[in-house]
Amino acid sequence: MDTLKAFLRHPTGMIGFVILAAVVALAAAAPALFPDDPWDMIGAPFRPPLSDGLWLGSDMLGRDVAAGIAYGARVSLLIGVVSTLAAVFIGVVIGAIAGYFGDKVDEVMMRVTELFQTIPGFILAILLVTTLGPSLTNVIIAIGSVSWPPLARLTRAEFLRLRGREFVQAAVCQGQPPFAVVLRHILPNAISPIIVTGSLTIATAILIESALSFMGLGDPNLMSWGFMIGASRTVMRQAWWMSVFPGIAILLTLLAINLVGEGLNDTLNPRIARRARTA
Amino acid sequence: MSEDLLLSVENLSVALPPGGDRGFAVEEVSLTVRRNEIVCLVGESGSGKSITAHAVLRLLPPNVAVASGAIRFGGTDIAAADEDTMRGLRGGAISMIFQEPLSALNPLARVGDQIAKAILMHARPRPARAARAARVLELIAAVGLPDPSTLARSYPFQLSGGQRQRIMIAMAMANNPALLLADEPTTALDVTTQKKILMLIRQLQAERGMGVLFITHDFGVVADIADRVVVMRNGRVVEQGTVDAVLRAPKDAYTKALIAAVPGTRPASTASRGITGEPLLSALGLNKTFVTRQGLFRPARRVQAVRDVALSLRPRETVAVVGESGSGKSTLGRIIMRLIEPDAGTVDFDGENFLGLRGRQLRAARRKVQIVFQDPFAALDPRQKVGEAIARGPMAYGAPASEAMADAKRLLARVGLKDSAAGRYPHEFSGGQRQRICIARALALKPVVLVADEAVSALDVSVQAHILALLAELREEMNLAMLFITHDLRVAAEIADRIVVMRYGEIVEQGETQSVFRSPRHAYTRALLDAIPGRRLFAGPGGAASASVMIA
Repeated sequence: MDTLKAFLRHPTGMIGFVILAAVVALAAAAPALFPDDPWDMIGAPFRPPLSDGLWLGSDMLGRDVAAGIAYGARVSLLIGVVSTLAAVFIGVVIGAIAGYFGDKVDEVMMRVTELFQTIPGFILAILLVTTLGPSLTNVIIAIGSVSWPPLARLTRAEFLRLRGREFVQAAVCQGQPPFAVVLRHILPNAISPIIVTGSLTIATAILIESALSFMGLGDPNLMSWGFMIGASRTVMRQAWWMSVFPGIAILLTLLAINLVGEGLNDTLNPRIARRARTA
Repeated sequence: MSEDLLLSVENLSVALPPGGDRGFAVEEVSLTVRRNEIVCLVGESGSGKSITAHAVLRLLPPNVAVASGAIRFGGTDIAAADEDTMRGLRGGAISMIFQEPLSALNPLARVGDQIAKAILMHARPRPARAARAARVLELIAAVGLPDPSTLARSYPFQLSGGQRQRIMIAMAMANNPALLLADEPTTALDVTTQKKILMLIRQLQAERGMGVLFITHDFGVVADIADRVVVMRNGRVVEQGTVDAVLRAPKDAYTKALIAAVPGTRPASTASRGITGEPLLSALGLNKTFVTRQGLFRPARRVQAVRDVALSLRPRETVAVVGESGSGKSTLGRIIMRLIEPDAGTVDFDGENFLGLRGRQLRAARRKVQIVFQDPFAALDPRQKVGEAIARGPMAYGAPASEAMADAKRLLARVGLKDSAAGRYPHEFSGGQRQRICIARALALKPVVLVADEAVSALDVSVQAHILALLAELREEMNLAMLFITHDLRVAAEIADRIVVMRYGEIVEQGETQSVFRSPRHAYTRALLDAIPGRRLFAGPGGAASASVMIA
C-alpha cells in the first residue's frame, strides 16, 4: 500500500502512467472507434491529415492511418507484455537456479547466458522469425528468447546476495526445504529490481517488434506501427504523416513505459523511497 | 578557566519531525569540553548522544534541526553560523570519526589520497605535492600503522577494521583539530583492537592537547578513556561529573543500572552446574580452507579458517568460543550448523555422524541444532511476520499451523514480548527485541544444542545483560547445551562453563572458565584478558584476587 501511495506521488511516474493508460484505452477501444478493418481502403490514397473525416490522413492504399495506430497499439502492447512475461519467467528460473545452487551449476548456467548475450539480440530475433515463420506466436518466442539474459543475470546477482544473508540461513537451519526457502524468503526480497527491469523490458520488446515489422517480418495479418513506418518509408517526402504518426505512437509508448519503470524503481528501491519520505 | 573552554553546548534542543514518538531528540542538553580533556557521552541507542555530537557539526538528518540553545566553539555560537563557516570547521578545527570506518571511506580511492584530500580541503596556502605526501606518511606513522608508504597505496578493502579506523583517525588529525568528535569509534571492533584504538586516541589527545567528545554505550570504555562523563537518557542529561565520581558513586538510578550492566562486573557463577556425562557433540580434526580465485594467472588466495579443531560439548554445558575476528570461530559455528562444509574432520552428534547426513536425514537432524545470529536486523526476513517466522520451523517438521502459531505466541511471551508481537513485522522492533525473537525462533524447534554466534555483540551493554540473563534461564529450562561464540571475554565469563580460545583458526587454550581467568596459560589469552575495557575500575570475574593475578 505504501508503495502504491509513493508511486501516486511520483510526478514523472504518474505522467508515464497517464500516457500508458491512454495507449491502453486506445487499444481497448479500437474496434469501437474504428469499426472497419484497418486493412480496408476507406478513402482516397495520399489524403493529408484532417481531410475527408480522416484525422491523421490516409496511406498510399487509402487505409486510415488513425485506425492503423489504434489497432497497432493492441499488437504492440500484446507482444510487449507477453514476450516480457516469457523473458521474466526464463530469466528468473535460470537466474534463481544459478544463484541459489552456485558453484558448478552457476558456471554452466552463466556460460549459456553469456552465449546468448554475445549474439546481438536483434539479429538473433530476425534469425528466429525467418526460420520459424512470421506469426504472432513466433514473434513473441523470438523476442522472449533474446530478452531474458539481463533478467537472468539480475536475478542471479540478487540471489547470490540474499543466499548468504542470515535470515535465509536461519530458514535453512529451521529445516525448510530449498524450494520453500527460495519462494518464501529469497524471491520476495529480490522481486523489486526484477519488476523494474521487467517493466523496462516491455519497452525494448515493443521496439524489437516494431523493427521486425518494419523489415516486413511481423505477422502479415496484424496491423503494426513498425509495418506502417516500413511500408510508407519510400513516400516519406510526399506523405510525412504516414510514418510520423506511427513514429510518435512508438515514441510516446516507450517514453511512458520508461517513466513508469523509473517511477517504480524510485518507489520500490527502499533507499531512494526513504529519502523521498523524509524530504 | 574560560580560556580552556573549547566547546560548550548550552540548553540545546533538537526537534524531530512531527509525528514521531517524541518531539525532541535532544532536550535542554548542556555540556562542555575543555582543551586537553576527554569527555565521554554515554547512553543507550536512542538516548540522543549521537544527535548531540552531530548537531555540533550540523550533520543532522533531513527534517531534524536545532530548535533552541547555543553551541559555542571557541567563543562563537556555531549553531547560528552560516554553511560556509560550518564547512570550514568540519574536518578543520573540529573533526569527527565514525563507528563504521568501511562506510566512511571511499572504497575506490587509495587511503593515502583520501588523507591528502582532507589536507587539501583546509590547508591554506595549498601545500605542494611533496609536502602533502610527506604529511600523509607522517600522519599514517602517527596513528601507529606499519610501513606507511605501502599502506598509503592500499584501498580500504585491503585493510582490517582496526587499520581502517586508524586511517579515519589519521584523516581526522590531518588539520590538527582542536576538537575531535568520536562517535562510537570502537563499537564495531574486537576487544584487543578496541584497546589499541583507545590507547591511540588517548595518546594523540595528550600529544596535541585536543578536546575529545567520545560517544559510547559501554561504561567499560568510559572507565578506560574518560576524564569526565555525561550520561544521557531519552534526550536529556541525567548525570555528569568526573569519571571517578560517576563510576564509583553514581547518583542517578539509570547510571547505576548502566554500570551494573557492564559484563564482568557481576560475580561469575562460581557454583559448578554439575555437568557430567558423555559428550553430546564432539568434533574432531575439523579443517576448512577458503580459496578465492584472483583471475586466470594469479595464484588463488587461500585462507585457512579452521585448522585441526577438536571440540566437545556435553549435555547442558555452555562452551564459549572466544577469539578476534578472523580467528575462525564463526566458521567453526557454521560447520557445526552444516552451513559450511569442512574440508576434513568429523562431527559426532548424539551418536550419529552428523557430517555424513544428506537430504531428508539432514533435515530431520537439523532441528536438534539451532542458531542465533549476531545481527538481529539481518537475521529476520523483513517481509515475514514475526509469528510466522517462528512457526515456520515446527511447520516444516509437520506441526499443524494453528498449533505452531499457538506455540510461537507462547514462546514470544516466554522471551519477554507480548504475544500480539506475532502479527507484526520485524522493523517494528528494537535490536534487543529482535534478538529475543531470534531466540524464540531457534527454540521453537526444541533443539538440544544452541549455537549463539556473537548473539549479544551487536547490542547495547544494558540490553546485552538482559539477553544473557534470558539465555541463562532458558538453558536451564530446556536443558540446552550451548556453543557461545564471542569476541568478548567479559561476556564469555558471564555465561560459560568452559572457554575455548581460538586464534588464526587454531585452539590455543581451553579450560574451565574460572581457571582460564585465574591462570591463563597462553600469551594470547593473557592479551585478551588485558584488553578487557574498564579493568581500572572493575575487578574481573572472580573478584579482586583474580584481578591482581591478571594485572601481575
